[in-house]
Amino acid sequence: MAINQCELRPMGKSIHRKEDPRFIRGQGRYVDDIVLPNMLHMSIVRSPYAHARIKSINTDAAYQVPGVKLIITGEDLAKLKLAWIPTMAGDVQMVLAVGKVLYQYQEVAAVVAETRAAAVDAAQLVEVEYEALPVVVDPFRAIQPDAPVLRDDREKKSNHIWHWEAGDREKTEEIFKDAPVVVSQDVRFQRVHPSPLEPCGCIADYNKGTGKLTWYVTSQAPHAHRTVLAMVSGLPEHKIHVISPDVGGGFGNKVPVYPGYVCAIVASLQLGQPVKWIETRTENIASTGFARDYHMKAEIAADENGKVLALRVKTLADHGAFDAAADPTKFPAGLFSIVTGSYDFQQAFVEVDGVYTNKAPGGVAYRCSFRVTEAAYLIERTMDVLARKLNMDPADLRLRNFIKKEQFPYQSPTGWTYDSGDYEQTFKLALEKIGYQELRKEQAEKRARGELMGIGISTFTEVVGAGPSHSFDIMGIKMFDSAEIRVHPTGKVIARLGVRHQGQGHETTFAQIIAEELGLTTDDVLVEEGDTDTAPYGLGTYASRSTPTAGGAAALCARRIREKAKKIAAHLLEVGEEDVAWNGEAFQVKGLPSRKVTMGEVALAAYTNLPEGMEPGLEATYYYDPPNLTFPHGAYIAVVDIDKGTGAVKVRRFLAVDDCGNVINPMIVEGQVHGGLTEGFAIAFMQDIPFDEDGNCLAPNWMDYLVPTALDSPHWETDRTVTPSPHHPIGAKGVGESPNVGSPAAFVNAVVDALAPFGVEHIDMPIFPWKVWEILRKSGVTE
Amino acid sequence: MKNYSGDFTIPVSREMVWNFLMDPHKVGPCLPDLLSMDVTDNQNFRAKVRVGLGPIRGAFDLANVITIEEPGKAASMSVKGGGMGSGIDMSAKMFLEDLEEQQGTLLKWTCDVVVSGPIATIGGRLIDGQARKITEQVFENIRNALISMKNEVAVANEDEE
Repeated sequence: MAINQCELRPMGKSIHRKEDPRFIRGQGRYVDDIVLPNMLHMSIVRSPYAHARIKSINTDAAYQVPGVKLIITGEDLAKLKLAWIPTMAGDVQMVLAVGKVLYQYQEVAAVVAETRAAAVDAAQLVEVEYEALPVVVDPFRAIQPDAPVLRDDREKKSNHIWHWEAGDREKTEEIFKDAPVVVSQDVRFQRVHPSPLEPCGCIADYNKGTGKLTWYVTSQAPHAHRTVLAMVSGLPEHKIHVISPDVGGGFGNKVPVYPGYVCAIVASLQLGQPVKWIETRTENIASTGFARDYHMKAEIAADENGKVLALRVKTLADHGAFDAAADPTKFPAGLFSIVTGSYDFQQAFVEVDGVYTNKAPGGVAYRCSFRVTEAAYLIERTMDVLARKLNMDPADLRLRNFIKKEQFPYQSPTGWTYDSGDYEQTFKLALEKIGYQELRKEQAEKRARGELMGIGISTFTEVVGAGPSHSFDIMGIKMFDSAEIRVHPTGKVIARLGVRHQGQGHETTFAQIIAEELGLTTDDVLVEEGDTDTAPYGLGTYASRSTPTAGGAAALCARRIREKAKKIAAHLLEVGEEDVAWNGEAFQVKGLPSRKVTMGEVALAAYTNLPEGMEPGLEATYYYDPPNLTFPHGAYIAVVDIDKGTGAVKVRRFLAVDDCGNVINPMIVEGQVHGGLTEGFAIAFMQDIPFDEDGNCLAPNWMDYLVPTALDSPHWETDRTVTPSPHHPIGAKGVGESPNVGSPAAFVNAVVDALAPFGVEHIDMPIFPWKVWEILRKSGVTE
Repeated sequence: MKNYSGDFTIPVSREMVWNFLMDPHKVGPCLPDLLSMDVTDNQNFRAKVRVGLGPIRGAFDLANVITIEEPGKAASMSVKGGGMGSGIDMSAKMFLEDLEEQQGTLLKWTCDVVVSGPIATIGGRLIDGQARKITEQVFENIRNALISMKNEVAVANEDEE
């Protein structure tokens, strides 16, 4: 039961979400809700081909449509040196195609008109003559020496982008040479898409009078977008005002800068009128940042008793036509080397090769801290393969191999320093709560009756909160984050942060952090994000980084205010500062609890009754550079029943026990977990973006790319343990992505467990009923 | 790319079939859902056809080229074009053989079809069956047209008699 926002000491309480009333009542304000005077609309002409040379573009007929103001092509942008823009991964990408197209739905021209309908109609009349070129959709084909080279703009005449590795190859090989047991498993993490309810879009509003560009945009990282825009366009950064209003879900999809944004800005600069561009659903799925698409091979070396010794991983990463992955600069494969997971391997070696194919670019962190989902899925899947090989219970195998509580801070063989964890405690709680032994008994009985039931485990470790600036940057900008807090004379607070929520509940949780630190209620604190003219600089919200970075900044910024407030309190209490103590709700004279002043009284004094010589006001800014990442973990268990006639999998139970350190708002954490589990369920059973051999995208809409409804989604059971982060100001770790990271393996392990009697060792996601049905048919279980 | 093929017999002479295939004015109307056509010369014509596939509704503008491979025996036809952001590239080959005892003509055909754009993606689940159906429809129309021509000729001959 949630409680209202008027309580003091709100930390750790299920406070009602402050943002809910406006969202529930339809009073949110999203980009497409904004209507500006004289606003024009833009529609994009896209390539039907996955790989083709552009022979000509004829805009004559399109210009005849009434209301058409401007049509932009790649050649036009080339004159402005804007035909290509840098990607976050250090590559370049075309804004509008120049010379050729490299994937289906690539942007070829932009049409600006007085109405959206006119823009769409005119876009259909832009005549583009193409000459089809050979298409490469398979990344394994792409790296063959005779494969057509897709990116002829690059010096390197190959589809290979980069090679990246972590860990010690030689020492890992040594262990594998003599290992008593070795298992190997090929695992595909299919191409999926964050598919937020609100697609991407923007309004570019260039004011020719002031020379200032106001850009309303669906952005998870408004400051970073402002800087990129300044660098690319040459516009002075102080004359770019980025406003990210309410965002209808991001999940990583709204981190990159997309061609449509650039075209809308160019159009507004040229026409001096606001230009709105809002994607269609198909444009969103088929052309903006996809996620995953990793072809992985894992090998585990172990002893006969199931003690793991070494891990070897080789991966081919399909990046599409441009490397537009959203990863920190020094980490082209993100934080994938967390792949040793929760287990104490002596050695590990991980290598990843990135390749180009004729598919849309991306590689965003879909509710995932930079490739951590791929890593967690791989290790949790392969641990089950090892358990099967050794004929061990997968729960026993995990318990035998966990990093022990006393080993923290733990140095992983791929270079991470895990901050804290108690994997055994979390897992044992999960086993007990779900009744693991009873379930295994039930399974044995059902198997004897010929029924198909499976139990799947995933005991994952995440790495989130990028990051310490010594290692993490995006395009050179260090990945710290920030908070600015102003306490008004009446004790009310406005706080602005460098991150940008998209449904995570920052307006409530950050208000709780600040209210807790300042002895106020969450009702007293207004949290504002997404406006670059008012908020301090920050890198945005993704990769579960908001609480680890901006949450830390908010706590430390409030403590900075409390330092000054203490001096004012001493002045009001007429004692020395050393005689004043903070009791969590007020400043009191040490030893005299009845002599106290509240933050409200101090705030008024900060503007009306200051100690002599003190600077008036009560506000502070804090830029927090965390000393390390945080390492949330969890233990998830899925129980499934399979219909032998249809192959349909029913998730009967799913328990998620998470440990995300100290919890700010349990209700919001639970909501985050429910949302992430639903996405994990969708990935495991419903979602895939396949391509045919001609590069046609076969799931660019919600008829083919499935999003689960409440009817499809299982009932979620949740619980938690608390292992605070030792280095975070409030001991929190971040939770938004854990359920998406941890759950796919639990689902797949459960299905494989159910089908194990038929010799099934692995099934690639998504587990559509027909895949299970085919296995059952081949096994003679069903006809 | 999708490949389709088929064959059928027509109870008319090979010469008559050949002349039919070489005449854009006759072959053009065999395209299903033809809205309009414009013959450039003996080998080239443009056609506008109505397209409806799943949620996609609109018109395709197609450039058609007829090429003689072996006079009287083999010809090819390429159909390229598109609309509504979608494209189609079709390459058909036709081979004619005399049936025994002057029973008519055997027409064998193969067709490679590359479809691109929303019609291949949004209509993805429907495209295979639909492309096959449309391709088969073209040849069915050719056959029917030839049969009715033969009948017309027969009727005309009867009238003359």
